[in-house]
Amino acid sequence: MSSPRKIRQQMEEKANQEKASVRLKGLGDSLYVTLDPARPPEQLQKELDRLFTRMKHLAVNARVILDTGEQDSHGDLIEHLGKFLKNTFGVGSVLEPPRKRLVSEEQARRQDMESSWHNYRSDVLMLAGRVRSGQNVTARKHLLIMGDVNPGAVISAGGDILVMGRLRGIAAAGQPDNQDVIILALDFQPTQIQIGGVMAAGLPPSPRKVPEFAYMENGAIVVEDYLDADPFGRLTWPQVR
Amino acid sequence: MIPLTPHLLPLTPYTRCILDGRIIVITSGKGGVGKTTATASIGAALAMEGKRVVVIDMDIGLRNLDVVMGLENRIIYNVVDAVKGKCKIKQAAIKDRRIENLYLIPASQSDNKNVLSPEEMVGFREIISKEFDYVLMDCPAGIERGFENSVAAADEAIVICAPEVSSVRDADRVIGLLYARSITPKLVVNRIVPEMVERGDMLNHSDVVDVLSIELIGLVPMDDQVVVCTNTGMPLVLQKKSLAGEAFRRIALRINGMADLPIEVPQSQSRFWKKLGTRLGLGK
Ligand SMILES: Nc1ncnc2c1ncn2[C@@H]1O[C@H](COP(=O)(O)OP(=O)(O)O)[C@@H](O)[C@H]1O
Ligand SMILES: [Mg+2]
Repeated sequence: MSSPRKIRQQMEEKANQEKASVRLKGLGDSLYVTLDPARPPEQLQKELDRLFTRMKHLAVNARVILDTGEQDSHGDLIEHLGKFLKNTFGVGSVLEPPRKRLVSEEQARRQDMESSWHNYRSDVLMLAGRVRSGQNVTARKHLLIMGDVNPGAVISAGGDILVMGRLRGIAAAGQPDNQDVIILALDFQPTQIQIGGVMAAGLPPSPRKVPEFAYMENGAIVVEDYLDADPFGRLTWPQVR
Repeated sequence: MIPLTPHLLPLTPYTRCILDGRIIVITSGKGGVGKTTATASIGAALAMEGKRVVVIDMDIGLRNLDVVMGLENRIIYNVVDAVKGKCKIKQAAIKDRRIENLYLIPASQSDNKNVLSPEEMVGFREIISKEFDYVLMDCPAGIERGFENSVAAADEAIVICAPEVSSVRDADRVIGLLYARSITPKLVVNRIVPEMVERGDMLNHSDVVDVLSIELIGLVPMDDQVVVCTNTGMPLVLQKKSLAGEAFRRIALRINGMADLPIEVPQSQSRFWKKLGTRLGLGK
């Protein structure tokens, strides 16, 4: 499976290949030139030469904006190319684009957190009550049970399983093959658990009554104190699970 | 427009007459936990309270309530005959010799469980509840036809559970099935051995209640008198010294309106003396 970062990289590469090194369009009374600062300056100059030659007298005294499309400025490059345009085609002025106030990542995150989740459709099956012996509960994605799961009951989910009570039956999360899930219970005493295709049974009863959770690590199921491990505390802002 | 004809409405507990008797199924899922003992004892205790009581053995093919009640040799008709209308209720109901107002309708020994259907039992309920204040049904083990038949006729249920993991598991299953049929069951924990509970060798009744989480109406200790009475056909609740008999009497009182009667937790003799010793300043 590709990570989002990898996908974004691939998309950027593809876009770069398609993008010409220099593009020109009219913007109000200015000529707006986008150029790729990654290309060698000689190539950029050749491209500009080609484009401005075609425009002939339209370039004379024109206001030209050179946009390198990046946050950090390429002052030297722009000065060099600006001088070239003034000397060769008699353009009036050469400017950098007004710095866009790019929203910092931090701001984006804050916005994420403050923006409303009203329109988000949940994939969680949330049930209140006791699941008894012989009863089965199956959720397409995540499963949240407010109540106890008795011995002999079976609960299973495509995603995570959270039991706000005693888990004493069988719990199977990440069905059929997602191992990136957890099984959490306030009192964790399952007869058997499954994560993805991996099964664990005969877990030793924990002496303390603390919330515990099971997850996969290196192909094995690990059970830990939930508050000690705080597995999601590392995520710095809330995101959809 | 099709007129609504009242007699075509399904008979739910709400459509039944308020004066009709209460029909209670006694069930457990697992066998050997004390359903038959409880049916005979609670039935006898309710009759001693002056109620007209019939106990019905629904364990068709494996009848034994008649033996426990010592009425084995008086059987002529059985529950299959009564449900199928081959005899009158009065003919099938055997009157107990010792306890006034107590009747038994025995199971048939030769038939198979499938001779009766839940539909027939619903019909039977209407007839039987007119004749008695309490109808107690001794449900067979398992959750198949025999269970279905017993539950179809009942409005209430008592689940008997022994303090054993397997019994709790089966009781839990049965409780789920009863809820699915809109019956809210009550719980009796039977066969408690206080010494074993104190040693940690037997489940505590609170562990059982914890898992099953239904209303507890009685705790019955293990008691040799049960076996003696079962073998001699004597009513357990008539044995003055029987702790189990006393527990069943109290359960009957709770069913019969004394809901607040405290539930006594069976205690071991040693524990009792230890407590007394402590109070007298003899303990550590
Ligand atoms: N409280 C008790 N103390 C001692 N023996 C008991 C007790 N309850 C039941 N028994 C015995 O356990 C056995 C099974 O009881 P029974 O009532 O026939 O169970 P079931 O009808 O559920 O199969 C019988 O031999 C009975 O005498
Ligand atoms: Mg029996």
